[in-house]
Amino acid sequence: MTQRASQDIHTQIKGESRLTLRQMESLMGYVLVAPLLVCILVLVVYPFFFAIAISFTDRSIGAGGAFVGLANFEYLFNQAAFLETVRNTIVLVSVVQISKLFLGLGIAVLLNLPIRGRQFWRGLILIPWAMPAFVAFITWKLMFVPQGGALNYMLIESGLVTTHVDFLGTRELAMPSVIVALVWRGFPFWVITFLAGLQSVPEELYEAAALDGANAWQRFLNVSLPGIRHIVLIVILVSTIGTTNNFEGIFLLTGGGPSNSTMTFPVFAYYSLQNLNIGEAAAVGVAMLPIFAMLAFVVAILLQRDES
Amino acid sequence: MFGKMTRTQKIIVYGLLIILAIIIIFPIYYMVIISLKLPKDIYRTPSLLPVNATLANYEDLFFKEDFFKNIKNSFIVASLSTIISVSLSCMAAYSLVRLRYRLRTWIGRLILFTYLTPTALLFIPLSVIVARLQLGNTAHGLIFVYLTFAAPLSTWLLMGYFRGIPIDLEEQAMVDGATRLQAFYRITIPLAVPGLIAVSVFTFTAAWNELLLALIFITSPDLQTVPVSISYLITGDVFRFGLIMAGSVSAALPVIILYYLAQRFVVQGLTAGAVKG
Amino acid sequence: MKRFWKYSLHICVFAILATLFIAPTVAQDDTFVYWGGLIFSETANDAFVARVEEWGELRGVDVEVVMINQNETVQRVSAAIEAGTMPDALDLGRDFMLLLSQNEQLEPLTDLYAEIGEEHGGWLESINSVVTSDDFGGEIYGIPYAASGANILYRRNDVLEPAGFPDAPETWEELSEMAAAHNPPENYGMGFALSNVGDANITTTMLQSYGGRIADDEGRNCTIDSEETREFLTWITGAFEAGLFPPGATTWDGAGDNTAYQSGNAVFIANPGSVYLNILENDPELADWTRYSALPGGPVMRVNPVSTVVRAVPVATSDAKKELANDLFKFLSEDEFAEEYMSAAIYGPALQSQVDFAVFSESPVHVGLLGAAINGTPGSFPDVDNASYAEYQTNFLTPNMVQRIVVDNVSIDDAIAETQASCQAIYDKNNE
Repeated sequence: MTQRASQDIHTQIKGESRLTLRQMESLMGYVLVAPLLVCILVLVVYPFFFAIAISFTDRSIGAGGAFVGLANFEYLFNQAAFLETVRNTIVLVSVVQISKLFLGLGIAVLLNLPIRGRQFWRGLILIPWAMPAFVAFITWKLMFVPQGGALNYMLIESGLVTTHVDFLGTRELAMPSVIVALVWRGFPFWVITFLAGLQSVPEELYEAAALDGANAWQRFLNVSLPGIRHIVLIVILVSTIGTTNNFEGIFLLTGGGPSNSTMTFPVFAYYSLQNLNIGEAAAVGVAMLPIFAMLAFVVAILLQRDES
Repeated sequence: MFGKMTRTQKIIVYGLLIILAIIIIFPIYYMVIISLKLPKDIYRTPSLLPVNATLANYEDLFFKEDFFKNIKNSFIVASLSTIISVSLSCMAAYSLVRLRYRLRTWIGRLILFTYLTPTALLFIPLSVIVARLQLGNTAHGLIFVYLTFAAPLSTWLLMGYFRGIPIDLEEQAMVDGATRLQAFYRITIPLAVPGLIAVSVFTFTAAWNELLLALIFITSPDLQTVPVSISYLITGDVFRFGLIMAGSVSAALPVIILYYLAQRFVVQGLTAGAVKG
Repeated sequence: MKRFWKYSLHICVFAILATLFIAPTVAQDDTFVYWGGLIFSETANDAFVARVEEWGELRGVDVEVVMINQNETVQRVSAAIEAGTMPDALDLGRDFMLLLSQNEQLEPLTDLYAEIGEEHGGWLESINSVVTSDDFGGEIYGIPYAASGANILYRRNDVLEPAGFPDAPETWEELSEMAAAHNPPENYGMGFALSNVGDANITTTMLQSYGGRIADDEGRNCTIDSEETREFLTWITGAFEAGLFPPGATTWDGAGDNTAYQSGNAVFIANPGSVYLNILENDPELADWTRYSALPGGPVMRVNPVSTVVRAVPVATSDAKKELANDLFKFLSEDEFAEEYMSAAIYGPALQSQVDFAVFSESPVHVGLLGAAINGTPGSFPDVDNASYAEYQTNFLTPNMVQRIVVDNVSIDDAIAETQASCQAIYDKNNE
């Protein structure tokens, strides 16, 4: 039955009321969504525009701030460190997300198989994600650290290397090490959501494909993947925003170094704030927005094509 | 998808699973052995086996640093955040999915929009708001602020979940004489329980693990939550790793247990929630 | 319909009641709120809280002392200023005090400073010059309670003496020679940070001791590009290439050097004393092997920057509470408390009357801290102390310059040119 039909029935049962049915529905709709809306307006929208507004001023903590137009942005874009930040952020986020995508899909497929103790494996997978972020990153730091760190200890004891490997202090290894830690922390979310998606693909579709002569790989490509397309897009959007905004991971592991090779937007903004230059820090945040907007836009289009 | 697996396939699959287990467990294991080591041993005798295993760090943590109080605070803040957030998002999700009114699509988009700002920038304007409402340094101030990230995601997931529940059931109930809301309450919500549980677990975890906002808004030691108290174990340039790891293990354990128990619902809740969302 | 509303109403009311019941009441307006500086020594922290509470009792004032971790001070104070929730008084580092006073957030305390100085035999020279820089416009914005930030050189005597080096190095060259003479794989010589962390700004000190300058005497134009800078960079990058720095020095956090020393991986480190307290308690063997001395000098001069930690009053504090704050600061400067605090903390003295405390002659590290406080060079010496210099340091430009050479293999000249440009950008920005 359609929504409209049910409303007519409703009218027949309840009789006429002072407001039309449509108006009552509207009212109820607004009332129910109002609390959430108020929260969002106060807690998110206002700060968001506040941040944008002060990025155009030279405001410093406690001191007023005069409108300076694009001066903050000019200063930022002329800094070599900032340009490197942009590059690093894009590289880091892309590699991390792609890794999580393949890992997530692969492991989800694995867990979707008829294996024993599936409950146990699913619980296990969630562990890196269930702990506080900074706990995970401090642990990885301890593992990477040359003095007394687990990885160096294993490498040296097993004779694979003779001197300490500086995972976090050399340009070549710093970024990959940070990527490893971030992927370890974030992949469970992908696995679980993909698993959920895979499990909701109807069995009949697989059987039909099998009858048509498709082998396992072809079944995966033509049945599984399209079935979870929707969820893949959503996870990509949510997770990418989260990863781009990630501060603790990089800050605790390398502080943005060495020589800015792992500096990303949030860490850069943090350092600006240490100088009490809130206008500058806000400008860094605002500079991030185009990336997010583009991403959200692309995903929204892809999602809409799904819905039609 | 595979049908029955051959022996070689089974070996490969289980082999991969074991590798996965090692990758996940190893850092945890490392965390635990450090929490069992004395400070001197942590630096001077690095090893993968517990050397001179001792519970001294845990003793210090719970009895000297009064970690019990922090766990209590975290529990209160996380639970209340969850209850309030889920109630709010439940109402909003229902409204956005079942009811029709003019601004509906725009409000839906606004919810997506809330993700775009990083907390690192939000905290200053947020503190202005919190101060004006005189909620600074209070548990309920923190709960209020946690709605920032908790409510939008929950709403989104619940929206998807509700869409996946056929409206026929509600309509049938309404034909039988129930009001729309009665139908929602008696029919839809029971069906949505997995989704509600999933959303509750996510919100609880996010609130339990949140650090930056708790750090900014809570100044009294009595009100500190678990992540804040662990970060206080880092004074200046001294990292008391033994204590930090003990705290970390203690902080992670409740949430891991929670997830383990609720995982069936979490997966189920996501199934309809995001797949059809 | 009714039942739905009833149930949801019940839940919401329950939640709200629960929060009201559990959360404590908002602090009364007449409570005196003090944000104290949390340090590593628990004994010192406890003594401080007890002392403030004692004052509260004596004066019949309700006090609330909150100890703030120095790693979070900037965020907390920033948020508090913007939100109007600053405490009635707080402890600050001197550099942060400079920044805040320039934004007119702190109450001038010049008279109180003079008064306390008189009562205790006068302020130490270095402390005085550090709080009365020109950039403060003639006023003094905080009451120093200790000499801080002074770095003591720690060395592993058990490694150096057998190698023929029983004495402390007098110059940085000597130090790197000593480090090189005994540097088997496990014992890296120079445990100095080269990363984006406060510790790494020791490289600026080294640069200055070689005669290099960040900016000119007016504090407006950067003078990084110089022969002295080249000499310094040649020395330090040479040491790095010889493998004298422990791996990881380029990304250490504040604790990196501590960890290196305590794992036995560094022969020299510079640390104000937190490592000392740590090894005294946890690793007496290592403590036995350690000797302490002042930082070495360069070919041109000896630079031993000492700073201070101060007690300050935000402008937002009410007049009545400003009076109370003045009284409290005097109470906290009394010798009996200062002695108790300093014997547990790792600071140097700020007032003449504190120089004679037992701890400064009995404990080897404190002897060094006393020396630093008396002979130390103020803040940015020889450079001009202004906001530009402070920003230069918070951006870790000297360590970054070194990183560019040793990590990215950029030539010394190019690294200098880059840093000169970034430095000038900062100075230009602040010169407007």
